[in-house]
Amino acid sequence: MENKQQAPDNPLKVNRRHFFSQLSVGIGSLALGSLLIPDLFDRGKDPVRGNPIGIPHFAPRAKRIIYLFQAGAPSQLESFDYKPSLLTRMGEDLPDSIRKGQRLTGMTSGQESFPLMPPAIGFKQYGQSGAWVSDYFPHIARIVDDICIVKSMHTEAINHDPAITFFQTGSQVSGRPSMGSWLSYGLGNENKNLPSFVVLTSRGEGNSQGLYSKLWSSGFLDSKHQGVLLRAGKNPVLYLNDPDGVSRSDKRHLLDQVSSLNKLHLAETGDDEIESRIAQYEMAYRMQMSVPDVMDISREPEAIIKLYGEDCQVPGTYAANALQARRLAENGVRFIQLYHQGWDQHGNLPNEMSAQARDVDQASAALIIDLKQRGMLDDTLVIWGGEFGRTNYCQGKFDPANYGRDHHPRAFSIWMAGGGVKPGLSYGLTDEFGYNILENPVHINDFHATLMYAMGLDHERLTYKYQGRRFRLTDVAGNVIKELLA
Amino acid sequence: MAQNQKGGWAAYLVFGLAVFLAFCLVFERQIVLPWILAWMGHWHPLLLHFPIVLLLMAIFLGMWGKKVPPALLTVAVLTALITAISGFFLGKEVVAKGELLLWHQWLGGGVALLAALWYWLERIKIEIRILSKAIMLLLAVGIGFAGHYGGMVTHGEDYLALPATGKRESIPENPLIYKDVVFRILEDNCIKCHNANKQKGGLVMTSLEGLLKGGETGTALIPGNPGKSELIRRLLLPVADEEHMPPEENKPLEKDEITLLERWIALGASDTVRLNHLDIAEPLATLVRGLMEPDRLEKWTTLPELTDTTLLNLATEYLTIRRVASNTNALSINVYHPPEYDPKPVLALERVAANIVELDLSGLPLGQKELDMVAACTNLEWLELDRTPVTDSDMAKLENLSQLALLKIYETNIGDSGVAILQKMQNLKYLYMHNTRVTEAAFERLRRTNPKLSVNRGMGKDLLGYVPPGDSSQLEL
Repeated sequence: MENKQQAPDNPLKVNRRHFFSQLSVGIGSLALGSLLIPDLFDRGKDPVRGNPIGIPHFAPRAKRIIYLFQAGAPSQLESFDYKPSLLTRMGEDLPDSIRKGQRLTGMTSGQESFPLMPPAIGFKQYGQSGAWVSDYFPHIARIVDDICIVKSMHTEAINHDPAITFFQTGSQVSGRPSMGSWLSYGLGNENKNLPSFVVLTSRGEGNSQGLYSKLWSSGFLDSKHQGVLLRAGKNPVLYLNDPDGVSRSDKRHLLDQVSSLNKLHLAETGDDEIESRIAQYEMAYRMQMSVPDVMDISREPEAIIKLYGEDCQVPGTYAANALQARRLAENGVRFIQLYHQGWDQHGNLPNEMSAQARDVDQASAALIIDLKQRGMLDDTLVIWGGEFGRTNYCQGKFDPANYGRDHHPRAFSIWMAGGGVKPGLSYGLTDEFGYNILENPVHINDFHATLMYAMGLDHERLTYKYQGRRFRLTDVAGNVIKELLA
Repeated sequence: MAQNQKGGWAAYLVFGLAVFLAFCLVFERQIVLPWILAWMGHWHPLLLHFPIVLLLMAIFLGMWGKKVPPALLTVAVLTALITAISGFFLGKEVVAKGELLLWHQWLGGGVALLAALWYWLERIKIEIRILSKAIMLLLAVGIGFAGHYGGMVTHGEDYLALPATGKRESIPENPLIYKDVVFRILEDNCIKCHNANKQKGGLVMTSLEGLLKGGETGTALIPGNPGKSELIRRLLLPVADEEHMPPEENKPLEKDEITLLERWIALGASDTVRLNHLDIAEPLATLVRGLMEPDRLEKWTTLPELTDTTLLNLATEYLTIRRVASNTNALSINVYHPPEYDPKPVLALERVAANIVELDLSGLPLGQKELDMVAACTNLEWLELDRTPVTDSDMAKLENLSQLALLKIYETNIGDSGVAILQKMQNLKYLYMHNTRVTEAAFERLRRTNPKLSVNRGMGKDLLGYVPPGDSSQLEL
């Protein structure tokens, strides 16, 4: 190259060779920088899939949840929300100023009047907190100082399926992942030998509504996060046990062969669904040992059987499921979902409700006492409640001894215990009709946000990208109710 | 630029580094650093001294009208670029960058890129004196501010401020809401402009009377009505609004601080109400308690560093190991009973013993060695040894677990001498010990020496008196 030092007339004049060598340094530097961006050329993959980073977002108060779902919606007016003024107003029509145009179900929308109906059962105050509990729940009454009653829950749904779907998935329209699936996705398994989300169902004599497996579906999350339904009886998990004549070592041998084939395929395609499949086979193999072990209550001492009630020895009852829930919690299952059906008292409420309460009262209280004596109430959150409340007016024939109540979304009661929730607290206030919330409303989205907070998760940060946008359990709403937490 | 053969590589290097730096700054959000680069970032505080001195020297010569020696300028620009890049690496370690850091980053990056431009102009011999003087001037100012912001990042915003009055006290037990909480918020954010000397807008906020009296726009607060109170209205205005308080150049109040003031006003803006007067469900009580409680994570900041790989290596199918929160080195460990128990995974935890704050060994057939490992976990706060063959002599080993707050030893063979050791653990708050050999007398001793301890001895007799369902008559309390 000739020496151009004498001719600096145009300093921007560059020759081709120089231009290219300069360009290559520039492009090289950009390439070097781009190496610092992970999965730059991997946009098809969701970055949060698998293990979401940065979790838990903060130190958790609760490590696991036991959700005692009372499917069908127990009446708040015959359980925890005491409204003596209904007695003096018995038979009066619900004023429009209170109803404020509330949408009604087809079951009472045709009714000519809405006569107010007081509870057919007495209430008393219990414990140091002085919380009111109806006589249907004598055992829960004894643990009121350990629980936190929320009297100001509200929802938008007025029918069972959308309402229960809302509670489980954060949306009235089905298809979203269940709460348990979100927690499994966010926090993973605590015990790698059991699913992180387990479902147990039972049914009382009262009027029931259907339960569908969509309620514990993982929606668009990886299917490993879906709830596993443990059935009553010999075979808690279908198809888990080996057929007769297959020994455990045969099974091991089989799995090893299948796994080596799968690994070959994985090396070829790099599809991580294969990896997750291999892991699922291994987990099922370990579950063959761990599930029967957890489900076997034969070594529970007499005192425990008495505590939960003799029913707990009958598989498939609520009491048996409650005891099972404690055993699953002890073994590191993160989300244990119980459903007890039969709380839909459109008619014959006093009789049905007393029977329903008898099913769940002792075992629910027993679970709290049992968890407490094991020090598990410190890190296990227990929730008891239904999908909405019931109306303060009578459905059907007006008969104070045998009446019914329709669905009521504007105010209802649930209770929670342990897991960092303030014990002995009564939160929220309804008006004297028990119809509208006066103080501290808690929407289902707030409820979800609060549960996630207790579990160490920020409900705004646990997201999953699907069909072009990020989803959360609380979608675009929800506030953590810190007043509920100690 | 091949005009000048010697030092040609330096020109390429300057160009390459400048492009790299610009790329980093532009794509900051997408970039994730490998550990080696993150480590290189740690050299930033050392490196930064070179470009400051060298660039200032070059600027000094240039402004003086002297020729800047090409070698000096080359080295100055190269160190400036390397310093900026290393600073960028260091900055990536910060999760959420504050305003100071952002200013420092862009000023520092700007200085380096501007220096590169100067270098290029010098090399291609464009001699527009006014331009190079302007660049030099800009550089000098830029270096000054970048350095100042960097200093504030490391030493704190008040480092160069004149010494203020001593250290502030923590909020006392059962505080007065006005004096101990509300006043502090006002003191931190408002009083520097609204005091007896300055009286901006005629408002003096140093006393409750002053607030009630108000300023030019009327009273600052109406007790019982936060919605109508001028103070709250101004706090809630958009930051860009003229009337927003504090004025734009100051830090706006946190959401929680505003809620706290709102609730205090809603409850009557009293100066006598104390924390224990408030209802348990009152948001104000929760907020005040939140201010009083030391952050758990804070306590764990001194724990040894841990990599995720270490954790993955220690985990097994039956041993779950996780960080208590993602941004801490404190560990929570659960061990489940495998079909065939092998102590190795538990013993391997010795490596991270100092990091373990929660350890669940419930139901395992533990031996001596495992308990030696437990004894090494000196930061342990939560320990579950229930349903294990742990003995009284094993308990003696746990003497040094001074941080222990919760202990489960139910359904074990532990007797009186075993729990005697617990009398020394002043942090112990919860003890679960039903079905042990501990006698009533030992239990009493424990309760006397450690009155704050809550002991759960199971349901025992409680259960015998358990009322069968349906009979609620005896339950009324």
